[in-house]
Amino acid sequence: MDSFPIWLSLRVALSATALTLLTGVPIAWLLARKRFSGRNVLEAVVVLPLVLPPTVLGYYLLVVIGYRGPIGRALAAIGLELAFTPGAAVLAACIGSIALVIKSAQAGFETVDAQLEQAARTLGRSEWSVFWSVTLPLAWRAVLAGTVLAFCRSLGEFGITLMVAGNIPGRTQTLPLAIYDRVQANQMGEANALALVAVGIVVVLLFGLSRFARLRY
Amino acid sequence: MSRFASIFLALACVALGLGSIEAAEPPALTVFAAADLTFAFKELAPRFEKATGARVTLVFGSTGTFAQQIRQGGPADVFFAADQSFVEALTAEGVLLRETRTLYAQGRIVLATAKAFGPKLTGLRGLLDPQIRHVAIANPVHAPYGRAAEQALRKAGLWESLRPKLVFGENIRHTLQFVQTGAAEAGIVALSVANVPEIEWVALDAAMHAPLDQAAAVVRRSPRPELGLAFIQFVNGPEGRPIMKRYGFMLPGEF
Repeated sequence: MDSFPIWLSLRVALSATALTLLTGVPIAWLLARKRFSGRNVLEAVVVLPLVLPPTVLGYYLLVVIGYRGPIGRALAAIGLELAFTPGAAVLAACIGSIALVIKSAQAGFETVDAQLEQAARTLGRSEWSVFWSVTLPLAWRAVLAGTVLAFCRSLGEFGITLMVAGNIPGRTQTLPLAIYDRVQANQMGEANALALVAVGIVVVLLFGLSRFARLRY
Repeated sequence: MSRFASIFLALACVALGLGSIEAAEPPALTVFAAADLTFAFKELAPRFEKATGARVTLVFGSTGTFAQQIRQGGPADVFFAADQSFVEALTAEGVLLRETRTLYAQGRIVLATAKAFGPKLTGLRGLLDPQIRHVAIANPVHAPYGRAAEQALRKAGLWESLRPKLVFGENIRHTLQFVQTGAAEAGIVALSVANVPEIEWVALDAAMHAPLDQAAAVVRRSPRPELGLAFIQFVNGPEGRPIMKRYGFMLPGEF
């Protein structure tokens, strides 16, 4: 069995999860704590990737990052190519999963008692410090739960990846794409083996985390 | 604060470190090929590799998706479409090299019956049997074999009466899976993918539908157009033709 898709998928999913966390948590905090114009629009935009069919999303993304698209051309100007690379798979996984981090973390932040944050402020803590020492420590279970869901979604991302990264064996063929490919080629034995690996990874992860953090979904 | 901040910093490193996945050495020749070529090309490509010493990466999928991807700079060297109209369009746009455009095969359709269902159907009329609850065809809106299936059913005067039973596959392999699994008792699929143990089939008259002309061409952005053209010629040449024929394609010069 070719193990390339397994390693690629693990790297793509880890990388995408880290990126969604870095961008998703600040957005979640904004949505939970700040009132600003366009907040409702932002709230709707972040769930859009869950609503649009992945292949449709992938098509629009491809038009933007392809070599004739605005981002694709800007990247080409500095000698980079994103479409049809593993980086495109990371981007696809991020877009597919960021709503899970944002929604989960936002709910977590909203349950944190604002009076506790207020108390920290009266003691002279900066906003930055309040977030790290009060808000996040009280909401970390929700953030972690969202992160785990995002990792799982990234590992299983199919439609957007197929469109923007292609299904190129040994280059951008992730685990879900490899399984689909094997099914299409009537190689059911290999397809089943790869599917078992995917299930195995997620079961071990979820089991480990529920023991370690007593997470509830 | 420091514990959570350091976790975040570590995450940033993971994101940057893993994100910059170094691209593997680009393969020698990347072929985007329509799904109906899966079995034939898997047999053909190793022979081409042996004959030329070049490495070939085969990517199978839907002709429509490939056309969009190649338009946006998809890293294909050669494109084998299931329908020549896609090659026509991309050639007109200047995305494919006109002088490399080659008709490489003509597809055939067959009437497939799931072995799990029972006796093999011998004609389209058999689809009216009430015991056949689902008939699988490829989506006639965008899949060439689906369009051919619709034309054949219309010509037989069965399209309207069979409509409630029809289920659409995304491409011809997907359609075949409906019949292979027995989810559809029968279907109309490509001859090139029909030789699987779960089904029995009978060929349909090629006069029942417009010719399924399949064309290939080299992509303009390809850094190795000669090798791409060599692959097209190999498929059409003395080594490729018998294989294509064995998988149920009619070949140039025969139709």
